Amino acid sequence: MRADIIAAVNQGIIAIVQLRHRADFMRRRCGWLRLSPLALLASLSGCSGHQLRLLHPDGPIAATSLRLSVIDVLIMLCIILPTGIFVAISLWRFRAARKARYDPGFTHSVRLEVLMWGVPFAAVATLAYFSWRGVFLVNPYAPTALGQRKSLLAMPDRPGKANPLVIDVVATDWQWLFIYPDQHIAILNALRLPAGRNIEFRLTATDVVNDFYIPQLIGMIDVMPGMRTKDMMRADRPGVWQGFSADISGAGFSWMQFPTRVMTQAGFAAWVAKTQAVPTHLDYARFRSMARPTIDLGNVTQVFSAVQPHLFSRIVHAAMNGVTYTTPMFLTEHMRRDLARRVPYLSGYPHS
Amino acid sequence: MLVHLQGAWTPWLGRLTLSQIPYNSPIVLGAFVFALLMAVPIVALFTYYRRWGYLIREWITTLDHKKIGVMYIIIGLVMLLRGFIDGVMIRTQQLLADGPRSAAHLQAVHGYLPPFHFDQIYSSHGTIMIIFAVTVVLTGFQNIIVPLQIGARDMAFPYLNAVSLWLTAAGAALVMISLFVGDFSHAGWVGIIPLTELPYSPGVGVDYWDWALQLSSLGTTLGALNLITTIVMMRAPGMRWFRMPFFTWATLSTQTIGLTAFPVLGVALALLSCDRYLGTHFYTAGLGGNLMLYTDLFWIWGHPEVYFIILPAWGIMSEVIPTFSEKALFGYTVMVAATLSIAGLSWAVWLHHFFTMGAGPGVNLVFSVSTMLVGIPTGVKVFNWSLTLYRGRLRFETPMLWAIGALFLLLVGGLTGMMLAIPAINYTVHNSVFVVAHFHTMFLVSVFGIFAGLMYWFPKVFGFRLDEHSGRRFFTFFSLGTVFVFAAMYILGLMGMTRRLDYLYDPHWQPLLIIQEFGIFLYCVSVFYFCKMIYVSIRDRAKEAHGQDVWQTSRTLEWMTQTPVPFYNFAVIPVVHGRDAWAMRRDSGLTATSPDQYEDIHLPNNTIVPALLGGLAFGFGFGMVWRIWWLAGFSLLGIIGLVILRSFADDKGFTLKAAMVRRMERNHEDTGIMTDHISPPVAELMLFQ
Ligand code: HEM
Ligand SMILES: [Cu+2]
Ligand SMILES: [Cu+2]
Repeated sequence: MRADIIAAVNQGIIAIVQLRHRADFMRRRCGWLRLSPLALLASLSGCSGHQLRLLHPDGPIAATSLRLSVIDVLIMLCIILPTGIFVAISLWRFRAARKARYDPGFTHSVRLEVLMWGVPFAAVATLAYFSWRGVFLVNPYAPTALGQRKSLLAMPDRPGKANPLVIDVVATDWQWLFIYPDQHIAILNALRLPAGRNIEFRLTATDVVNDFYIPQLIGMIDVMPGMRTKDMMRADRPGVWQGFSADISGAGFSWMQFPTRVMTQAGFAAWVAKTQAVPTHLDYARFRSMARPTIDLGNVTQVFSAVQPHLFSRIVHAAMNGVTYTTPMFLTEHMRRDLARRVPYLSGYPHS
Repeated sequence: MLVHLQGAWTPWLGRLTLSQIPYNSPIVLGAFVFALLMAVPIVALFTYYRRWGYLIREWITTLDHKKIGVMYIIIGLVMLLRGFIDGVMIRTQQLLADGPRSAAHLQAVHGYLPPFHFDQIYSSHGTIMIIFAVTVVLTGFQNIIVPLQIGARDMAFPYLNAVSLWLTAAGAALVMISLFVGDFSHAGWVGIIPLTELPYSPGVGVDYWDWALQLSSLGTTLGALNLITTIVMMRAPGMRWFRMPFFTWATLSTQTIGLTAFPVLGVALALLSCDRYLGTHFYTAGLGGNLMLYTDLFWIWGHPEVYFIILPAWGIMSEVIPTFSEKALFGYTVMVAATLSIAGLSWAVWLHHFFTMGAGPGVNLVFSVSTMLVGIPTGVKVFNWSLTLYRGRLRFETPMLWAIGALFLLLVGGLTGMMLAIPAINYTVHNSVFVVAHFHTMFLVSVFGIFAGLMYWFPKVFGFRLDEHSGRRFFTFFSLGTVFVFAAMYILGLMGMTRRLDYLYDPHWQPLLIIQEFGIFLYCVSVFYFCKMIYVSIRDRAKEAHGQDVWQTSRTLEWMTQTPVPFYNFAVIPVVHGRDAWAMRRDSGLTATSPDQYEDIHLPNNTIVPALLGGLAFGFGFGMVWRIWWLAGFSLLGIIGLVILRSFADDKGFTLKAAMVRRMERNHEDTGIMTDHISPPVAELMLFQ
């Protein structure tokens, strides 16, 4: 019985997701479909459905979030739509001019009152079930969504942690540094990932809090100084996605983007090998000069080889011990009064 | 100095120098000219008609809860306009700064605002809208209406009431002055930690934000104390708990939240001040500080605060919908239960504002479920309003239009709130404009409620109705603006656009940004109709003058008083025989209010002390912001001294003789207007007589 229901719900969801894909496909094929309201919306937003990043996940984590959103919205609409329609009809039917049945005594009904607590309660209970499932499916520390998935409801119990590629993420003011500790390489303001392999991020910041976010691949996770958070993901296919910081961190925040290039496993291996050969090394001293407040206006990327071992923990411990990178006045509220310094601001804070 | 400051400091002026006044910024200059254009005519008119004395005797020194409420609402509406202008600037910047090829104007790299300026604008937008506009206007309504609804002559502590007002005003003044002297915070209305710490916010911006919030939160806490005491202690004979009008219940729940939540904000900010002024390490990343502590404390206040804002608006809807449905509120008892449970639950959900901070699945799940539980009583309320409409006799006058608009917005906000409550979904949209759209939908429920209340109670307080014609236009344009701005914003959220961006990297967002800007244009049109509505109504006030009960179908006690309400509210305190006391009287033809016997009415004298306290509080805040220690010190001593002095003042208050009450009331019944302009004298002036 239970299995039947689960299978049915599952089918429904899959159908909806497929329907969406089909609509995309049709829209590309047939021009007249553009006239349908949804398509119109999509075309407004840049002529390609793929601008709606959250509706087009490219990895199991983001896909799970989308699936749960669809379920949530459907359940809520079961209540909200009828209520809205009921209100609209009442407004029309009982307007004074229409002289419909008027019953000022209708102010209480035990049966309706039981119903009005019961129905939302049932909805919340159902949603709570999905929330419980979801919390483990996309648990940043050990997401079960990365394991083998048979269906949404009969979910895998074991986190899919097999053979992850570890990447250390460091947010500075206002750049991103990605360290591949096992490969001893690092890259600034860009991210390279192999497709089809689990990735484990360990994240920290030098100074202030940022939020790590690649909409189609991975949800947000806070990046905090003196602390280490974790997150895991996998990308389904090669391609380029935009990653960025989602949490205001000061003047350079709006430019904290990192193009995320997902490569084939072979391509990634080749990139690693190439990077290991670059002459620029990265040690803690170099990191400190790099971490001074910098607005990355032009998305300047840089690769490093021979990254000092345990650089990540070194950075975490430094922050815990009170190392900060003070923001100069002219990069804060006071910019107006420092017009003379406009030039360094425009080109990014100089690494002198 | 215990901390290292960037920039100069002198004993007399602290950090203040001439260069802190941004006269070279064209935008600030424009704002300054605008403020002058608003202020100069007002000052000139007061001087020309010699009304300053009147202003001081009748308003600045007043302890009358209705006048205090009106002043709250005026401050709130002025701040609403300021916040709106900030909003327009934010939207325009994002429209102009979309895509790497977007043009640069003034000193910006993209658009016309550099990040420093932009960040201040959205921080002040949020702070102003939440703390100084919506909260303040709603406090004003509660001040005016609650004593009337429960049949009281004034608040429990009229003097404290005035102190609350002037503390709030001092906070608002600090925010306003930051526009012209120095900077405002750039760290969002929530004051993101550790961005607000001295190394990352070396200027005075965060301090302005800090002290403005601190002052207004003190005012709000005292106000909550006052309103709760009033409701518990001052109800008219026969007004049992379950006969209280629903708005009063909403106020009771709201202020219980206020009394318990606002002190937490006070503590959170005090610890931040310690970090910034004394060099402690409460919230720093290193040296034993814990920045997550701030986030927790802030939202332990912050979430209850959002219910502090929505509950009174729901209270207004629960008054307006029955009145214009000609029916009592459906399921009164259930509604009370729902409101109280929302107030209770609002305490247990704060972590949903930072699911992404890295808590384990267990913790996130608990707060996810508790958040969704709030949806149950909220749903109950919606059903009750719908059933109130059902089999009613609906009249769509402006207050009703706003209330219904609010009802539909609530459906949308509830839907998206329930999405955000699920961590697996929240991870993808937290800090995106999807969340911004969610909470604007919810705040707009409050704003719609506010306008419903404004249209509904305005005739009670001022004696004439607001112009229906321009009122409808105002509603139409405001609603359309809302649809355009926020529908587009939800879609942008799904497109992955995050919050607080000075520069948008994706040019594909352009079409939706244009739609939003169009919505902003509609909002601007609605502001025009709002002003027109006020102007036309005042011009035609004689034509639109109304008696006791403008709407003819209202239900609660405030409609039993004379209109405009005399300063003593009720000539004789009414005895209450049931719920919806005024409707009961009307139904049984007992609307005549003139009793056979009048009695003396005793009320407090007016006093200038609360306004002085407000002024000194402003001095203290300003001194602290700029680290002018002598100014802060003297202001603080002044406050303490004045409070002590006042406690010795032997003020017996003011007695209105029964014969006088009789004359005023009878006169009013004959002519329909209050002829004798009597109000309590100013206590301090009597010292000189
Ligand atoms: C059914 C009721 C509601 C639910 C389930 C709900 C849920 C949520 C959740 C989960 C968040 C966090 C989103 C995030 O930052 O990731 C949130 C944010 C917010 N909500 Fe609601 N909410 C509800 C009602 C309200 C109401 C009534 C208001 C206020 C009038 C409100 C105002 C806000 C605000 C201001 C924020 C964001 C603050 C910020 O980050 O700046 N919400 N809501
Ligand atoms: Cu806003
Ligand atoms: Cu909340």
